[in-house]
Amino acid sequence: MVSGSTVTKLALRVSDLSAMRSGRTILYPTSLNIAPAERIGIVGSSGSGKSTFGHALIDDLRRQGHSVAQVPQSPDEALDPLRSMAFHWQEAERALGLKPGTADREALFATLKIEKGDMRKRPWGWSRGMQQRFVIAMALIGAPDLIVLDEPTSALDPVVAAATMQLLDQHLTEQNIAMVLITHDLGLASKWVSKLAVMQDGHLVEEAATQDILNTPQTKAAQSLVAHRNWMALPC
Amino acid sequence: MSKTLFGLLLRTLVVLAGTAFLTFALLWNAPGDPAAAIAMARFDALLSQEVIDQVREEVGLNTSFWPAFWSWLGPLLCFDFGNSAVTGRPVWPDLWGAMTYTFPLAFAGLMIGLGVALPLAIFAAKRPGRLSDRIAVAIASLGAAIPAYWLGLLLILLFAVQLGWLPAMGARTPAHAILPALTLGLGVAASLTRIIRSGILEARGQAFLPAIQRRGVPEAAIGRDHIAPHAAIPVITVFGLELAFLLEGAVLVEVIFGRPGLGTFLVSAIAARDFPQVQAVVLLTALVFVVSNLIIDLLYRLIDPRIGERDA
Repeated sequence: MVSGSTVTKLALRVSDLSAMRSGRTILYPTSLNIAPAERIGIVGSSGSGKSTFGHALIDDLRRQGHSVAQVPQSPDEALDPLRSMAFHWQEAERALGLKPGTADREALFATLKIEKGDMRKRPWGWSRGMQQRFVIAMALIGAPDLIVLDEPTSALDPVVAAATMQLLDQHLTEQNIAMVLITHDLGLASKWVSKLAVMQDGHLVEEAATQDILNTPQTKAAQSLVAHRNWMALPC
Repeated sequence: MSKTLFGLLLRTLVVLAGTAFLTFALLWNAPGDPAAAIAMARFDALLSQEVIDQVREEVGLNTSFWPAFWSWLGPLLCFDFGNSAVTGRPVWPDLWGAMTYTFPLAFAGLMIGLGVALPLAIFAAKRPGRLSDRIAVAIASLGAAIPAYWLGLLLILLFAVQLGWLPAMGARTPAHAILPALTLGLGVAASLTRIIRSGILEARGQAFLPAIQRRGVPEAAIGRDHIAPHAAIPVITVFGLELAFLLEGAVLVEVIFGRPGLGTFLVSAIAARDFPQVQAVVLLTALVFVVSNLIIDLLYRLIDPRIGERDA
């Protein structure tokens, strides 16, 4: 398999994505450019439309022919409790058109430090932190162009969350994979992304380098997010 | 696993022992003189007190409850069901003969029920709330509302009397089994359809499904690998109840269609107060239930081991 780092990846671009739910607009036309291997954080309070934008972004980029992986908020939203870890892994391989057993599982597992997990067990036989890292490992099969993480650490305790983000960060850098991090946690976002996109009421209201938004937030939404970030002191 | 298996077997034994005791006690204390009923069945005439007393002694009804119970239970532990109080013949060959009629009928009914219910439920669950779904649910509700004895008569009227395609009464050829099996099967299909449909709908609401779809897994694979196992759990639960319905229904259906089998066997045994025969049927039924529930329990644990862990 060609490793991701040797391929020159194209910039990803979505334009004028919108979404309706039961007759109400929940996402107004929104565009975003993602440079190769760029890290972007989509931040905003609950209900601001950031997850909706994330899903629309994945669907649109897939339509354009890019490989995009997604990591949902909690492992409960990613893994079937009745199927084994081995089953999930093979299913993910097949979905990407790979023959089962061809993805470099050992390397990915070593990267995320879950080599000791028993693949015959079902998800609930693993700790939640390991489950979430397994989901991230699955998302990294076949080195996608972009990985979209939706509140990836909210189900984890801060120490495990920090370690997971650290491991993921290294891997993304090595493989040249871009990342979109959807979160309401500005502290988490500012640690791992270079650019922030602030969402409010279905609009992308502000988009700038992370430091600029932290230092001089322009819009009310960004100002209130910056004012209420309490987690900057955490190790992650 | 071996520990849970041991527990399940222990439960099975307790249920069987309880059933044996309760059946015997209820029959023993039922109103009326059992000796008179047995004598009636034997000689088919008005009898003198002398003959009745003779029968009482012969059958062992002149002792008290406990000696009678133990003298029945003792041989039973060696799988000896004893002899019929009326004919004096061993119970087991006659019982086995009846089973060879009833069990295939019940099995055919179950298969017909499953064969009708599964496609109908999948069809209904495709578009919940739409017209197709409502029609399927209406058919299922109608099926559940029609009693077996009426459905059986309707089928006889249509296929045996009007069209003359199928025989109605008796059990001489396999064709004789078609109408009874259909009567049983349609009743089973009615309740199974609703359970499978709601099982599928509930499974489809599982939180992890959107992520698996987004991972690019094809719909057919999601249905087979994720929705089916989740939908199977409520369906398996109901299967035990279906079995009760089947045995109960088989008794009725056998009477309607004039078929030999456990139904006819049980009805004549109860009328004649033939203790050994009645007890044999009840114990057999209990055994079928207990064994099928054991299988259901094991299936559960196979599909979702958390079920076993929780009550261990």
